[in-house]
Amino acid sequence: MRGWWPIFKRELLSYYVTPLAWVVMTSFLVLQGMHFYVLVAQLAAQGSQGADAGPVQSFFGGTVLLYLPLLFVCPVLTMRLFAEERRSGTIEALLTTPVHVLGVVLGKYLAVLVAYVVMWLPTVLYMALVARHGDVQWPVVGAGYLGMFAVGAGYLAVGTMTSALTRSQLAAAITSAMAIIGLFMLGIGAFILPDGPGRELCAYVSVWGQMNDFSRGIIDTRRLVLDATLVVVPLFITVRAVESWRAP
Amino acid sequence: MIEVEKLSKYYGSLAAVRDVSFRVGSGQVVGFLGPNGAGKSTTLRVLAGFVGASSGRVRIGGHDIEDERLEALGNIGYMPETAPLYVEMRVTEQLRFRAELKGVGRPGGRKAIAKEVSRVIERATIADVADVPISELSKGYRQRVALADALLGSPPLLILDEPSAGLDPNQIREVRSLIRDLGGEQTVLISSHILPEIEATCSEVVVIDQGTLVAMGTIADIRREQAPVAIRLVLSGVVEAALVAIEEHEVVENCTVAEGPHTQLVVQLKSEMVNDVGGATAKLVACCVATGALVREASPEAPSLEDVFSRLTRSEGERMEGGP
Ligand SMILES: Nc1ncnc2c1ncn2[C@@H]1O[C@H](COP(=O)(O)OP(=O)(O)OP(=O)(O)O)[C@@H](O)[C@H]1O
Ligand SMILES: [Mg+2]
Repeated sequence: MRGWWPIFKRELLSYYVTPLAWVVMTSFLVLQGMHFYVLVAQLAAQGSQGADAGPVQSFFGGTVLLYLPLLFVCPVLTMRLFAEERRSGTIEALLTTPVHVLGVVLGKYLAVLVAYVVMWLPTVLYMALVARHGDVQWPVVGAGYLGMFAVGAGYLAVGTMTSALTRSQLAAAITSAMAIIGLFMLGIGAFILPDGPGRELCAYVSVWGQMNDFSRGIIDTRRLVLDATLVVVPLFITVRAVESWRAP
Repeated sequence: MIEVEKLSKYYGSLAAVRDVSFRVGSGQVVGFLGPNGAGKSTTLRVLAGFVGASSGRVRIGGHDIEDERLEALGNIGYMPETAPLYVEMRVTEQLRFRAELKGVGRPGGRKAIAKEVSRVIERATIADVADVPISELSKGYRQRVALADALLGSPPLLILDEPSAGLDPNQIREVRSLIRDLGGEQTVLISSHILPEIEATCSEVVVIDQGTLVAMGTIADIRREQAPVAIRLVLSGVVEAALVAIEEHEVVENCTVAEGPHTQLVVQLKSEMVNDVGGATAKLVACCVATGALVREASPEAPSLEDVFSRLTRSEGERMEGGP
């Protein structure tokens, strides 16, 4: 673990001094703002009697608009992590200091995770807005955010891994986007496959299914186990990849 | 401080370093010399733990670079050849980050780090750019920031890969005097393909060419071993008999003659005469005088280090080409 703290601080700082993070964050918020507006407008048109779900539940579970941006945001947030250090050569200075490789990987990963959480923070305002005009079940909101956190944590770990496996940021972003989209598509299998183990597996990995549960306040630990696996395995591969750079 | 045993490093089938062994004692300033592509940076990268050796062992301060990696790295301040820095940071930010990474000032905390950062800024004379973003620095300044980085925490061993590349003559002089000052308390290993650089700062040299070690020792030693010992004589008057006598003299290996207003001779001595050049000179002068020639000048011919260097690396090159 040694070395994670200074690396974490530096990565976080460099997010907010480069324009990239601001561009990503702003576009993400614009998208989510539109998403929220559309939902509320729709609900208002239907009137309260026609709606089978409140705005909070619709926001977290009703549409793919919630996590579709993540397929692009996560790769962009993570692409720099290792690819940039290798391109500029700073990786040589970094790996010749007395730090653990695990510390390097975790420092970078935690920084991007915090940037991700910060990106979601302003959306809490929407919840506050809803709360002013109606009832908000805060535990449900919490479950919704927990779901988004868990899903994002996995995607960011995949992005961290591809950043270490490729030499260019662009290749890192494309590879991780493809991996994440692949995971996402697997979830679609739950709608088209016939009943059977294949369909069950697809339903298990489906983000749609996960958010459907979480947006109703149902926290399924099997889903969380899957998300944790999606964090641990890619990070483990990242550590091995970084260690392998000094292979004989 | 450094023990390298039979170190080899292959990139695919290319042997960048082959079977290199050497030791560097504490407090020495050692030059690591070789032409471009000789394998200097590769060796230093292995020593600094960035590149794994294909075979062989490296110990830094008694710690094996593979088995006790963190302990070994804790002893090293390494300045890579490319002087890599985080361009989005300011100079002090970069140095503060690096100081924290290296565990400088632990457990002293913030104050100790700030103090150490200002010490190395002072040392590398970069105070005037301390708050400038690194992306706006010139190459020479970046080079000195990287040097300051290596100095952080006063590690017992400094490994500097071409520290003065890209500096102007004034800065080169400053860096050299800095390196000389470091010797004694810190062990320094600097690579270079420029001889005056090494001559100006180092007491010992390791010469490497095409991945193999070709010479090692103090500069004086290498000059003596590798350079044929020679004497320059200037004769006038009747010289023919003297020339014959010299050619046949027991201490002489061979002799070249240049005509001019006077007869100039460069006499190569047999290698066993290395330690008695003065005696050999006296004998030759006596021999010339005996034949009736006039000796106007007699002086030992010291080869320049350039000669030694090019001889070392050229002969190695020829050996390689002639090999099977
Ligand atoms: N990452 C690498 N992959 C493949 N070959 C490499 C790599 N790094 C170095 N080499 C090769 O190894 C040999 C030694 O390179 P090295 O950089 O150690 O030389 P050097 O002595 O530092 O030269 P210079 O004075 O130009 O810096 C060269 O033939 C080089 O092409
Ligand atoms: Mg080099």
